[in-house]
Amino acid sequence: MVDLFPIWITVFFTLAIYTFLYRENLWFRLATAIYLGLATGYSITVDLKYLRDQWSGMWTSSGLMMTLFAFAILVGLLWYFRFSKKYFYLYRWPLAIIVGTGIGMAMRTIIFAQFLTQIQGQVGLPLYVAGDALGSLNNILIAVMVPCVLLYFWFSGIGARREGVAMKTIDTIARYTMMAGFGSAFGYTVLTRYSLFIGRCQYLLGILPNPPEARMAFMVVAAVLLVTLFGWDLYKKTSS
Amino acid sequence: MSIMEKIQNIDRRWIYLLAWVAVLSPLLNPLGLPVTIGRDSTRYYNYITDVPDGSTIMVTFDYGISAMPELYPLTIATFHQLWSRDFKVVVIATWNQGPMVMDVVLGELNPAVRYGKVYGEDWIELGWVPQSETGMAALGTDIWGTKPVDYIENRQTSSFPIMQNIKTAEDIDLLISFETGTPGLPEWVRQWNVPYGTPIIMGCIGVMVPEVAPYLQTGQLGALIPGLTASAEYELLLKRPALAIAGVDAISMSHLLIIVLVIIGNIAYFMTRGKGGS
Repeated sequence: MVDLFPIWITVFFTLAIYTFLYRENLWFRLATAIYLGLATGYSITVDLKYLRDQWSGMWTSSGLMMTLFAFAILVGLLWYFRFSKKYFYLYRWPLAIIVGTGIGMAMRTIIFAQFLTQIQGQVGLPLYVAGDALGSLNNILIAVMVPCVLLYFWFSGIGARREGVAMKTIDTIARYTMMAGFGSAFGYTVLTRYSLFIGRCQYLLGILPNPPEARMAFMVVAAVLLVTLFGWDLYKKTSS
Repeated sequence: MSIMEKIQNIDRRWIYLLAWVAVLSPLLNPLGLPVTIGRDSTRYYNYITDVPDGSTIMVTFDYGISAMPELYPLTIATFHQLWSRDFKVVVIATWNQGPMVMDVVLGELNPAVRYGKVYGEDWIELGWVPQSETGMAALGTDIWGTKPVDYIENRQTSSFPIMQNIKTAEDIDLLISFETGTPGLPEWVRQWNVPYGTPIIMGCIGVMVPEVAPYLQTGQLGALIPGLTASAEYELLLKRPALAIAGVDAISMSHLLIIVLVIIGNIAYFMTRGKGGS
């Protein structure tokens, strides 16, 4: 019985979330509220554990380090002035530190990681790959399409040339390129959404290594949720 | 209202019902549709196969519970390949629910019993590294300082035999990332691949593929498993069919449903467009 409890709870919350597909309802609100509460509680717990772990590391090696650690905690607490109208400005200090360090960390290598290397990769593409016709076509398309899309978003100093045949051709290629990109992104999005759905369905059906007991829970919980949802709608319709 | 106009205004709940049917029916009655092993999964499998024994591999959980249905089968298969070999495996997470996912992995694979792997000697879990990119940078500079205590035994990281020669990113021979978004590959490339030259391979949810594919072309990413279908192929390569393979029929049927709906929707739209239809 104790082992079955988590399985039934899991099935209930999965189906309670999915009841939103029918309409917004009490089961859905209950499940989302509990999930948000749990997720927030979990985040606070792991945050506190991280602080405790740090305290047991180098920060206790000397008085200076302990002072610095306490200072960092105090600066971190300034976040909570976000909720004070009077001292709101204090919250900007930790925000500035976070934004500053984050941007600084990214900027030191972004020029190599996402600019120069990408240009090198583009320039270095072989237009002919021996024994791989599709690979060759792929590389030719990349070599043509990437510059076209870049030119599509280049507005400075073009003026009337935008209406010329050359730029119109480039714009057309760019639009088709972007549409292909959006289509690809949409396809992958569908893949992901269905993969997530399939994973939950595998659990609900108790497909191994998921617990087989979940299938019984699925049938019972689904019946209860459907009866309450349809029953409530029927009750409202007949009473109005 | 013509039938074509009715189609365009159909209650979306019928679509949801069709989606449930399209997914549940092949799971209950598998169709056994053939799975062709593609280039991505082969590349990922070969990449790990080619890593010499004794190498140190860091596995990072850059996803939480919500992405488990798509990434968990790949995670399990990858750990199976890693623990079947003589690697030193360091597990971390840049998403705070990552350690929770790892708990589930441990429950299923039980490395001590099934693979004879000793915690602290053959593998270690360091837990969550906060502050995304800044945390990654700090970890690359000083692993002991950034994670002074391990996740499972709450002991000093430096006290474990496996960690004696693992202090910075330079001591990591390969980074394997499972991810769903930010922080993820761009951050790892910026903080580990560029400064330290750490090779990276990854598995991700389908939504991310257009974003990370350019890194594959430039060689900054060694191999990529894009979504559940490629995970199924990887399971076949490992000769260990599991959850991803079990879901392939459902993926095919659900995608078929979407394609049919898109075609019907377009036909209905074009047939009513000139008639002032909605």
